[in-house]
Amino acid sequence: MKRLTYIGRWLSDWYAIFTNELRHIFSDSGVMVIFFLAGLAYPVIYGLVYSNGTVDDMPVAIVDNSGSSASREFVRGLDATRELAVSHTCANMAEAEQLMQQRDVKGIVMIPEDFDDRLAKMEQATVSTYADMSSFLYYKNMTMGANHVMLSQMREIQKERFSAAGYGGQQLSQLVQPIRYEENMPYNRTFSYSIFFLSAVLLIVIQQTMFYGVSMMAGTMREENRSFAIMPDRLKGRGISRTVLGRGAAYWLIYMAIGAYVAGLVPRIFGMPQNCPFGEIFVLLLFYVTACVGFSFTFSSFIRRRETVFVLFLFLSPICLFLTGFSWPVSSFPLFWKLFSYIFPSTFAAQAFINMNTAGADLSMVSDQMIGLTIQTVVYYVLSCAAVFVENHMLKRKTA
Amino acid sequence: MMAVVRRELRLMRRRPIYLLASLGVMAFCTVFFLTFLKEGMPQKLPIGVVDKDNSSLSRNLVRQLDATQLGEVVSFGSYQEAREALQKGRINAFCMIPEGTYSDVLAGRQPTFTFYVNSLYFVGGALAYKDLLTMVNLFSGAVQREALRATGMNDAAIMGQIQPILIDAHQIGNTATDYGVYLTNVLLPGILEMIIILVTVYTIGAELKYGTSRHLMDRAGGSMSAAMLGKLIPYTILYTAIGIICDLILYHWAGFPMAGSIWNMFFGTFIMVLACEAVAIFIIGALPVLRLAISISALYSVLGFSLAGFTFPVESMPAFIQGLAAAFPLRHYYMFYVQEAIFASGFSGWYPQIVYMLLFLFLPAIVYRRLKNAYLLQNFPRK
Repeated sequence: MKRLTYIGRWLSDWYAIFTNELRHIFSDSGVMVIFFLAGLAYPVIYGLVYSNGTVDDMPVAIVDNSGSSASREFVRGLDATRELAVSHTCANMAEAEQLMQQRDVKGIVMIPEDFDDRLAKMEQATVSTYADMSSFLYYKNMTMGANHVMLSQMREIQKERFSAAGYGGQQLSQLVQPIRYEENMPYNRTFSYSIFFLSAVLLIVIQQTMFYGVSMMAGTMREENRSFAIMPDRLKGRGISRTVLGRGAAYWLIYMAIGAYVAGLVPRIFGMPQNCPFGEIFVLLLFYVTACVGFSFTFSSFIRRRETVFVLFLFLSPICLFLTGFSWPVSSFPLFWKLFSYIFPSTFAAQAFINMNTAGADLSMVSDQMIGLTIQTVVYYVLSCAAVFVENHMLKRKTA
Repeated sequence: MMAVVRRELRLMRRRPIYLLASLGVMAFCTVFFLTFLKEGMPQKLPIGVVDKDNSSLSRNLVRQLDATQLGEVVSFGSYQEAREALQKGRINAFCMIPEGTYSDVLAGRQPTFTFYVNSLYFVGGALAYKDLLTMVNLFSGAVQREALRATGMNDAAIMGQIQPILIDAHQIGNTATDYGVYLTNVLLPGILEMIIILVTVYTIGAELKYGTSRHLMDRAGGSMSAAMLGKLIPYTILYTAIGIICDLILYHWAGFPMAGSIWNMFFGTFIMVLACEAVAIFIIGALPVLRLAISISALYSVLGFSLAGFTFPVESMPAFIQGLAAAFPLRHYYMFYVQEAIFASGFSGWYPQIVYMLLFLFLPAIVYRRLKNAYLLQNFPRK
């Protein structure tokens, strides 16, 4: 009987703390802006910003000093690629450089005078490309476009020469290309920037907005001379788990809804590939949101004033994004930063989400990340309980 | 005004948040980006190989791939295993070498290699793909060379035959295709922009929130412009100093390429500091409630990174987003940086960007009266 009352008491305390926290959240306009405006609008803004996905027909200038049929064919080939469009034909390099400086073109292709002569003499001919390095996508387009044309023209030339030498049919194609290759880019066929960027940033939005919102709440409570750690007095300092779990449940509930929107609906709105059933994404969210709540509780306990969290920690958002390894590969992380990245739930969750949602991995394939999130949940739960305990101790000493 | 400056300096000393948020954050980010991306180009990327042939020829190929700077071979027994590793993100690409490759090559049956690339990881995927392509093309070249040698051709002629056209690629502004150079040059000023907007909004808004704005106005002799100037002069000096130190670290100490003059970069950095402060005054003036203003500033300054257009170019974004990009000082700073550091085009190349950044300085005028009233009357909710 006694045991039952303990559970009953526990639940009723928990419920009171839970509803109280929800009331606070919904009556705080600043937190609402962060949770709902940022949490709901940010994914959409990013989706719109990157809706085109690829840079097509990047303008390039041509300096054709050769003026031969071979060089003209090369130029036509460049124009025909998806990556490049020949927008200007210049008489000399100075003119082309001027255009690049004015940013009318993002690359220059220079075909030297001896291009045709060298080909005729069966020597190596050179084509020079100049890429504007202010964005790596310009460089990528320049390289991919030029290489594509170079390879196809190379094979043409080789075929001509071998057939002139008396080879033909199968033998000829075998000489030109002893090994064929096929390429498969199953998850992001066109190297689309929107799939690449959104996949990683969506889950960062969940963690960061939650962290900022929770910290604002913690700061507000401190300012109002309450504390995030206040517990019902009659518990005599023994209600730590109730307090943490009750408050946590409030954020958890809100963020499961926001998370379902961010990870389930937004990809659909922007036509991103969704190669994983939503049920499995939802399981990932269960783990991720729980870890995020613990993470936010732990670190928000250092926040003394409401607004300082942005001033001090906003810079972490771009850093967390890099730490997911979506851009700079994890295999090239320096060891220290690799360990540092384990602090953030977003590191594991974004990796798992990229692999599941777009690459179609199932839950068993992201077990490493799920284990990571579980460990984080446990560690952060203990730490946030400890924070409540310490805070209470200090409060008591202050009042005593 | 000097009285206000002295008051502000005292505040900065008393509350560590101001220095922590500017110097501390900037130092952390500088260390982060310089060490995180210090390799410049990823090395030893894991690339999968499923060698079904297991002949001397295929083993030789795998060894060559492993020996490249870029790649490091991970062997898999079956397509299934390799695909799983690809889906797990453990490798960014793999290559299937079919059974009978060696005998097919000898018999002239042109075996087909299949590449699978996970292009969800942009950098890793693209580089692994490039490495695989190079390997196959080199191999094709080697087979041709053997065939041509047999016909008695000399080596120079053979090169002209194997690769008739060479591409001599030049990377303007970043010859080493260093990823760190490309990102850090814009990310660090971006972080600085973020800090300036947040701290400026915070320091102006805190006077309202903690009800000290009247005290400030007294010090300023009732003049709003003296109050604002006095308040911002210490910060302007601080941020400009941080910006200049940052430029020095990037272009001098770390040796990042700088085609133009570092003095012009100092100038551009200074103008960016002013533009960001103007934006901050506008935000807190339009919304003199610290809690809301700081949330809005956070949303705004994070967007600045994307809309600067150094990752995905602005001209490829939808038209209405392109217009929006102009509303971020970082966008103009980036355009300025491209002109100075990459093209060295000097004043004639970048002056429009400086003009755009200076246009931001008109923003405070719009909210001047409103902010002054807020300061005097303190008639906005404090929480």
